[in-house]
Amino acid sequence: MSTSPLLESTRTAARLALKKGATEAAAGGWLARHVEVTWRDGKIEKVSEATTRGLALDLYVEGRYTAVSTSDLRPEALERFVEDSVALARKLAPDPHRCLPDPALYRGQAEVDLQLEDPTHAALDSATRRRLAEELEAAARSVPGADKILSVTTGASDTRAESALVQTNGFEGTRRGTDFWISAEVTVKDADGRRPEESAASGGRFRDRVEPSETVGKRAAERALHRLGTKKGDSAVMTMAVDARSAGRIVAALLGPLGAASIQQKRSFVEGKLGAAIGSPLLDLTDDPLVVRGLGSRLYDGEGLAARRFPVFEAGVLRNYYDDTYYDRKLGIAPTTARTSNLSWRLGDRSQPELLRELKEGILVTGFLGGNSNGTTGDFSLGVRGFRIRNGALAEPVGEMNVSGNQLELWKRLTAVGNDPYRYSAMGTPTLVFEGVQFAGN
Amino acid sequence: MQIRYFERFGVTEALIAETLAAALSRGGDHADVYFQHRVATDVGVEDGAVNRAHAAVELGVGVRVVKGAQTGYGYTEDVTLPALLECARTAAAIADGPSRTTPARLHLAAGLPDRYPLVRRWEDVRPDEKLPLVAALNERAFAADPRVKKVNVYLRDESGAILMADSSGRVVEDEQPMTLLFLSVLAEQNGRREQNGYNVAGRAGFEFYSPERLDRVVREAVARTTILFEAGPPPAGEMPVVLAAGSSGILLHEAIGHGMEADFNRKGVSIYADKIGKPVARPFVNIVDDAAPPGARGAINVDDEGNAAGTTRLVENGVLATYMHDAISAKHYGVSPTGNGRRESYRHPPLPRMRATYMLPGPHETEEIIKSVKRGIYCANFSNGQVAIGAGDFTFYVKNGFLIEDGKLTRPVKDVNVIGNGPQALERVDMVSNDLAIDEGGWTCGKDGQSVPVSQGLPTVRVSSMTVGGRGS
Repeated sequence: MSTSPLLESTRTAARLALKKGATEAAAGGWLARHVEVTWRDGKIEKVSEATTRGLALDLYVEGRYTAVSTSDLRPEALERFVEDSVALARKLAPDPHRCLPDPALYRGQAEVDLQLEDPTHAALDSATRRRLAEELEAAARSVPGADKILSVTTGASDTRAESALVQTNGFEGTRRGTDFWISAEVTVKDADGRRPEESAASGGRFRDRVEPSETVGKRAAERALHRLGTKKGDSAVMTMAVDARSAGRIVAALLGPLGAASIQQKRSFVEGKLGAAIGSPLLDLTDDPLVVRGLGSRLYDGEGLAARRFPVFEAGVLRNYYDDTYYDRKLGIAPTTARTSNLSWRLGDRSQPELLRELKEGILVTGFLGGNSNGTTGDFSLGVRGFRIRNGALAEPVGEMNVSGNQLELWKRLTAVGNDPYRYSAMGTPTLVFEGVQFAGN
Repeated sequence: MQIRYFERFGVTEALIAETLAAALSRGGDHADVYFQHRVATDVGVEDGAVNRAHAAVELGVGVRVVKGAQTGYGYTEDVTLPALLECARTAAAIADGPSRTTPARLHLAAGLPDRYPLVRRWEDVRPDEKLPLVAALNERAFAADPRVKKVNVYLRDESGAILMADSSGRVVEDEQPMTLLFLSVLAEQNGRREQNGYNVAGRAGFEFYSPERLDRVVREAVARTTILFEAGPPPAGEMPVVLAAGSSGILLHEAIGHGMEADFNRKGVSIYADKIGKPVARPFVNIVDDAAPPGARGAINVDDEGNAAGTTRLVENGVLATYMHDAISAKHYGVSPTGNGRRESYRHPPLPRMRATYMLPGPHETEEIIKSVKRGIYCANFSNGQVAIGAGDFTFYVKNGFLIEDGKLTRPVKDVNVIGNGPQALERVDMVSNDLAIDEGGWTCGKDGQSVPVSQGLPTVRVSSMTVGGRGS
């Protein structure tokens, strides 16, 4: 295994934990360089640049457990912190389910180069970031109707991060990654005094994955201008299409209750439903940590478990929870992983315009505003904005509306999935179409 | 000058002075350096045992340089001169001119208020005192109702301080304690499950947990959960909305609070951008953002730019009065800073933020307000809200409430999002009671990737019409 100063210091921290009385321990160290340029209306608004670091420790002390983190890495301070943390753990009740993972789960890491680090990162300089931000604004202001634009805020940011994980029962890992993002937010003036805003973003692990700033700037401005004249629609039960970019909100409300803590604590509307149909046969998605250059890709997870693909839903049937080894022991099931990596959807064969043509009447949701989903019961109520669909085409913009229902009913009414996965999120959601959704408005 | 808290980390007058000099080496108008130390500990109960604890230490420093409305920022966890100088030079690059001289002498600001006096400092509270407290709450929640099947309790405490020093020579140190207690309950009845909870928070020490407060935590957490078995969604559509006194202040936070943060107005992107001095509500509506409620979660002695934090009057007798300012926006508008410049941590420059936002009491009686509604909803407890600053649309999510039918509270309702438009909702506030309450809950406000603790309050209020995200009609 290769070594690095970060891995060395993380090993030292793990050894320190044992020396101070931990029976076993996991140490996670990180180091990141983050630079962000914000540009607004013709000049730089903010430049922020930093190298940041930290350390987290899971301490297992004679059957007791505590999880701690610190950014104060001065040697004496760290030593005292670990001593205090071990002493705190000793005061707690023992927990027979707490221990490091079975080392067998560390084995079998995929032999693939995930390509998470762009070697050209170091060549990116502040003049380039500034030029990107400037170009984004120029593009936004170049679209027809730009005289209605009140303000344009754009940004370029990038991160280079390194982390190390050392678990005292036989795991060591390091990983490095980069990401690059550009974004634009445009505010326009409406006749009624409202100042609707919209945005666009693009990014990825490699610089060549980022769309041209001209495309992104124009897209943000066009989206904002399309909000002009937004009105509240009428309350009705209608077909809802959710735009690929926005669909992550509603998918997150479905996946949250798949977490093993929610299952074990009975705070989940899918508890006890492994193998049961939760959605229509179109709900079909896999958790895939092994996508080359994927935003959520990894060879091992936060507990050191070798990352594997696994089905979450197959033809509407729930196949797996997201579970860490602690709650697995409590539940008596085999672990997958605690957190989503990349979602890979079984896509449909139609584009969003084709889907809208087919559904004829309804609402295309392009943004959510607040609201919540009750993970225990599945009841949800979410603010939405978007466009009315009439005769299969986008019609007037609507806003200040709400959708509500229950997740267990909603996903059974999934009637179409687009061919357009959103590239700029690890959730990769396509356009989703649901029938019979309650909208509240006038 | 005597540095008190940060002396232990090697912070000296010379270190600060050299950092500020480097920060102004390219001609910035203003520079500040912000040190932060925060130690958070929590202990938790799950499945009947106090078997988990977390501790987090944050130590770091941020250097900011301002040139006009432009900001350069650098931060580090390494509190040493070389690391600080690197941050300062990074931040300095926002300006591009000759060096400016820095003040010869730094001076500690005197006379800060004492809005969170501590009786039992968290540094002095042993685990042996905290663990029985959470264990007892767990047992009491189970004992309160046989339908209770799962209980989670978390007790969190924070101690630490900030030190802000700027290029005017001003140095401010403030110790900022915080505590939060969260009790969550899952109950079962006839195969149905419901989950809810209650939380309390404040800038206080261990003395915060009086027997009365702990009683209330158990009682409210269980009652707010078990009533859900009788609750359903309200109908969908526009109707009158009555907001109960207390946490309903979320209405103000979303409908007007964010829109009155001066940065959005300076940029022209807030729906309130050209409304100062104009009537926005009935004459009996007065709304403030206040740094001073003693021990409140949103209270601060001084803001994160070192400015005195008092009461900002957002709406006075129905007229839009004052934006909430940080130093940049105050300079832009030619007014004094209002003490609203806050930051999540040393990783971020300050922004205009809320503290404790509430409406002053009005002329109506609570019973009169409920009686006035033929068909609407009464909102009692909330989980979250959001606003679109420019369009003005905002939401809040109602966890517990009631239908109002013919002037009476009837069926309980749950899990409903209410959506409105800020200026329109303010205009429609047509009754305000005299029962102002500032909520004791652990509210956190997010903006631009930064979370800060806030408080909110409201007397009972009627909004004549909002869109209720229910089902059916």
